[in-house]
Amino acid sequence: MHGWMGRILRVDLTSGKIATEALNPRLARDYIGARGLGTRIMYDEVDPKVDPLSPENKLIFVAGPMTGTFAPSTGRFDVVTKGPLTGTIAASNSGGAWGPELKYAGYDVLILEGRSPKPVYLWIDNDKVAIRDAAHLWGKDVMETTEQLNAETAGDAKVACIGPAGEHMALIASIMNDMQRAAGRSGVGAVMGSKNLKAVAVRGSNAVTVADKAAFLAAVTRASTMIKEHPVGGTGLRLYGTDVLVNILNSVGGLPTGNFQDGCFATADKVGGEALAATQLQRPRGCFACIISCGRGTKVTNPKYKGEGEGPEYETAWGFGPDCRIDDLDAVTKANYLCNEYGLDTISMASTVACAMELYERGIITLKDTEGLELPFGNADAMVEAVRLTGRGEGFGRMLALGSYRMASHYGHPELSMTVKKQEMPAYDPRAVQGIGLNYATTNRGGCHVRGYTISPEILGVPVKVDKDSIDGKPELVALFQNLTAAIDSSGSCLFTTFGIGAPEYAELMTALTGVPYTADGFVAAGERIFNLERLWNLKAGLSAKDDTLPPRMLEEPIRSGPSKGAVSRLPEMLPLYYGVRGWDAEGVPTKEKLATLELA
Amino acid sequence: MKISYFALLRTATNKTQEEWTRPAATVRDLLRDLVAEYGPAFARWIWKDDELSGFAIVLVDGHDIRSRQGLDTPLTPDSEVFIFPPLAGG
Repeated sequence: MHGWMGRILRVDLTSGKIATEALNPRLARDYIGARGLGTRIMYDEVDPKVDPLSPENKLIFVAGPMTGTFAPSTGRFDVVTKGPLTGTIAASNSGGAWGPELKYAGYDVLILEGRSPKPVYLWIDNDKVAIRDAAHLWGKDVMETTEQLNAETAGDAKVACIGPAGEHMALIASIMNDMQRAAGRSGVGAVMGSKNLKAVAVRGSNAVTVADKAAFLAAVTRASTMIKEHPVGGTGLRLYGTDVLVNILNSVGGLPTGNFQDGCFATADKVGGEALAATQLQRPRGCFACIISCGRGTKVTNPKYKGEGEGPEYETAWGFGPDCRIDDLDAVTKANYLCNEYGLDTISMASTVACAMELYERGIITLKDTEGLELPFGNADAMVEAVRLTGRGEGFGRMLALGSYRMASHYGHPELSMTVKKQEMPAYDPRAVQGIGLNYATTNRGGCHVRGYTISPEILGVPVKVDKDSIDGKPELVALFQNLTAAIDSSGSCLFTTFGIGAPEYAELMTALTGVPYTADGFVAAGERIFNLERLWNLKAGLSAKDDTLPPRMLEEPIRSGPSKGAVSRLPEMLPLYYGVRGWDAEGVPTKEKLATLELA
Repeated sequence: MKISYFALLRTATNKTQEEWTRPAATVRDLLRDLVAEYGPAFARWIWKDDELSGFAIVLVDGHDIRSRQGLDTPLTPDSEVFIFPPLAGG
């Protein structure tokens, strides 16, 4: 095989058995890799009703065929499992350099099964695979763990690990790799912790082979040029990072503020990308083979929040900033660093703190509940302390670690949790931007922007501008973005390549690389297949159309101020049309005809 | 009218915002004046052949001009105009 290494590494942590098996070329062709391939394996091997934190759940690290090649900005991998936060199929995508190293070690897929009787880490050194004792690492943060593992395995090993949050099985725990990159959402870190697995260190010396070298080189050159020449991907992301979005969302009145009570924040500029570039930015950072470098190498010198690392990204700055009514960028960035050190998803962590702040201001929780932590909106010190407590599993942090839905439900007010399928919505108000609201409601892992990023046409005007307040054409738009994104996620490519290239270019790259003839339509169709398979999994896990919804606030409480004042989400009008566009019945179940077309029947 | 600049346009104009007193009946008139004022360093991100280029974003009172009358969107002395170069994020 080309592109794919053709091998799966399977590790049973209960028995210690380690085995390799061949990757089925037909599955690789139809599900591409990463998100799609991992989902197919989960569908075939794991009961969707499984308890996510039980030994019967599996944890799958899976790269894409393009991962590890020099195709531009394509070094990514997915962690696929049943998400403890959501109960849905979860696939958390990450960059850095870990994914390519798994390929170089000779594997497309690492399947982790069972539960180790005591803390261990996995060391993959080409064909030499060992389960090693991790008692001396348990309790260490992500940075210390990574440094220690590089010392005792190899200096050039790439490390994916959990921090203390994953060890405590916080439902919002992430898996971190290369110290600063995150497989963030849906609680994948808790699954790793439930298996007593602290880390996976990997090093390899193989190569990814290419079917047609000349064609691949030409396709790579063409794609790289298109990305570099695109005004968005080429310059803006490198200079300002994703945080540049704060001001545009605020200016149209769609920046969720104070736990989504409002859509704009007077001092938002203080936590935006321009402010970040002027104060904390040290240098841009890029992942493996990246030509965009959207990452932020930053430093906070203010003694109160001193630290150094990568980030914040837009969602992070929004969450710890305007969503908590905080405009202190030092505090926001410190919260970001703490999440990276403890291994916490920044979006869910921030939105859970914002939810706690609203519960506190409404008197639903008191200082007794928070064990002395004063949590009104705007209290930056308390916000940072809340993150620290969650990372350590101490005090009120134990409640925050459950995520906002279970926390708010515990206190009798689930409607104050800004979640879909129990996962916190990101940084775009669905009342101000209709299409992204439909995406939040229907994307298979709950509140998520990135898998159907209609913000691009609705706000940024990329590739074309559509009216953010209209619902016309939004079901079709959301479905198309969801399908294409599923395919791109599965290829190992970073989604920011979409600022530059489209389905025809991905198909060209995939064909030259793998030797399998992908067309633009076929590539998108594979994405549609993957999206529908995720839907089937979720239906079997017990989700239904009633979970395709938004918090009542989005449907019933108009935005209070700013340019989008008065708006609510028109999800109820869009959802039936969306089901129709997808070829699903009125209950959101894929029809037999649709499944047959996708070869899923 | 109040004009706010973002991202690379702040570098090009050396301002985050300003009170602009020269009258402009439409967004087109205003942008022509701004291009004349701030030159190529400003124009390269938003203006090409007397049209708004590529993915630049102009808001009048919080609304994208592409949902209004484009460059012919009218302005008053009380208008708040926000100008962004091409942006991305996620």
